[in-house]
Amino acid sequence: MAFREEGRQMRLRRTGSVPPDARVRHYDELAEASQVAVAELADRPRTAPESADLEDGDVVKFTDYYRIRAR
Amino acid sequence: MSDSYVIVGDGIAGASAAETLREEAPDAEITVITEEGESLYNRILIKEFAKGKLPEAPISIHDESWYDDHDVDLRLNTLVVDVDVENDAIRTHEGETIEYDSLLLAIGGTPQQLPVENADAEGVHHFWTFQDARKIKESVEDADRGVIVGAGLLGIDFAAICGAQDVEAKYLMRGDSWWRYALSNEGAEIMHEAMRERGVEPVFGSGVDHFEVDDDGHVEAAVDPNGERYECDFAGVAIGLDFNTEILEDTPLETDDGIVVDEYMRTNVDNVFAAGDITEFYDTILGERAQNGAWGSAKEQGTIAAHNMIDHGSEPFEWVSSYSITHFDFPFLSFGHPTLGDDSVEATTDEGEWRRVALKDGRVIGGVLIGDLSPQSAFKQLMREKRDVSGQRELLMEPGFSVDDLVASTEH
Repeated sequence: MAFREEGRQMRLRRTGSVPPDARVRHYDELAEASQVAVAELADRPRTAPESADLEDGDVVKFTDYYRIRAR
Repeated sequence: MSDSYVIVGDGIAGASAAETLREEAPDAEITVITEEGESLYNRILIKEFAKGKLPEAPISIHDESWYDDHDVDLRLNTLVVDVDVENDAIRTHEGETIEYDSLLLAIGGTPQQLPVENADAEGVHHFWTFQDARKIKESVEDADRGVIVGAGLLGIDFAAICGAQDVEAKYLMRGDSWWRYALSNEGAEIMHEAMRERGVEPVFGSGVDHFEVDDDGHVEAAVDPNGERYECDFAGVAIGLDFNTEILEDTPLETDDGIVVDEYMRTNVDNVFAAGDITEFYDTILGERAQNGAWGSAKEQGTIAAHNMIDHGSEPFEWVSSYSITHFDFPFLSFGHPTLGDDSVEATTDEGEWRRVALKDGRVIGGVLIGDLSPQSAFKQLMREKRDVSGQRELLMEPGFSVDDLVASTEH
């Protein structure tokens, strides 16, 4: 079982292509808190606390494809 | 002897039930039956595949090894032809009888066909399964001109697919706007403009009277009730679903448009449950029966059904659903029951930003947000808390609205 680092911040970056091995999540699959975070971070140079149901490297389909970076 | 659970349907409702049952009942026998030829995939991403934006691989959720690893007996390509609730058994198209202690029906629906001439012609597509998406992608990639029918949440996927695949399309609508049951003309016009920007032209006061086909039986035009002819080599039809209740006709299970269940997802037969978009469930927030086809709702229903199959009454289904459209460069979100209610309030809050909230007996029961999704949590909270917002409805339209903006005494 993989453990997550606590206290990480995530940001969204637009991605032009989706790797075949990426985990892709549609906005509608996300928990309400993650939906709020994605809508807030998309196309903005902001960070938010990492969501429980999103991981570094995930791709989210919102108004475009966004890759999650969590550090 | 361990309990045996049979789940019919391997969409997100059936699969989440299987996952929950395995977690909660490690020794149980679990069988999942699906008429599809592939195991659980992401039904809300197949439109992205059809648009040519996403490869196949990320769309799969459970490969067949998942079922082996979790000791779940998966039966692909298996049609259930009879449900015998007196003898706690189902029968498959191959004549096999499978007995159960508890049964979950997550059997979904089938897209409706237009009741017009040549509605089943080559090139006329309906969109529900991954296999449908593959055929649509193949067909639309070779198409130059398209016609779309069905002015709702599923029809707009066809519009987006045509737009993404550079197919010039006419979107034939019977009324004067898209999704007229949930949006006013002002809100709908934002969506119309987004369609036009992608080469999809909404045509109002239209529809399809019949399709014309070429010598090979392939669609070549749609003719609307006004006699207007729209040439096309691709047609997408999304006018609704017929829920798959026909196998229950000779059973005592209560059905209407779907399978009637209580808030615990149980039917009127004690050991038969249902989940997903086929249910007509008692919505504890709305206070009446409702249906919902959203992914999150179906997943939650599957989980809740599983809990109650093990211990009935242990957990009710209380959920505010939402459904987004992510085809455009602005977000769109509908939540709750935006087409119901006895009152509504709407506003344009900024350029390209519009919202509408549906009310019933002074309470929020649903709505639509275009452009600015920031109030979604506040509106969902009001729904869950069943707050009476009578006399304060205009506050809901304020940019930056927060639940704290309402007078506290209205809380029930």
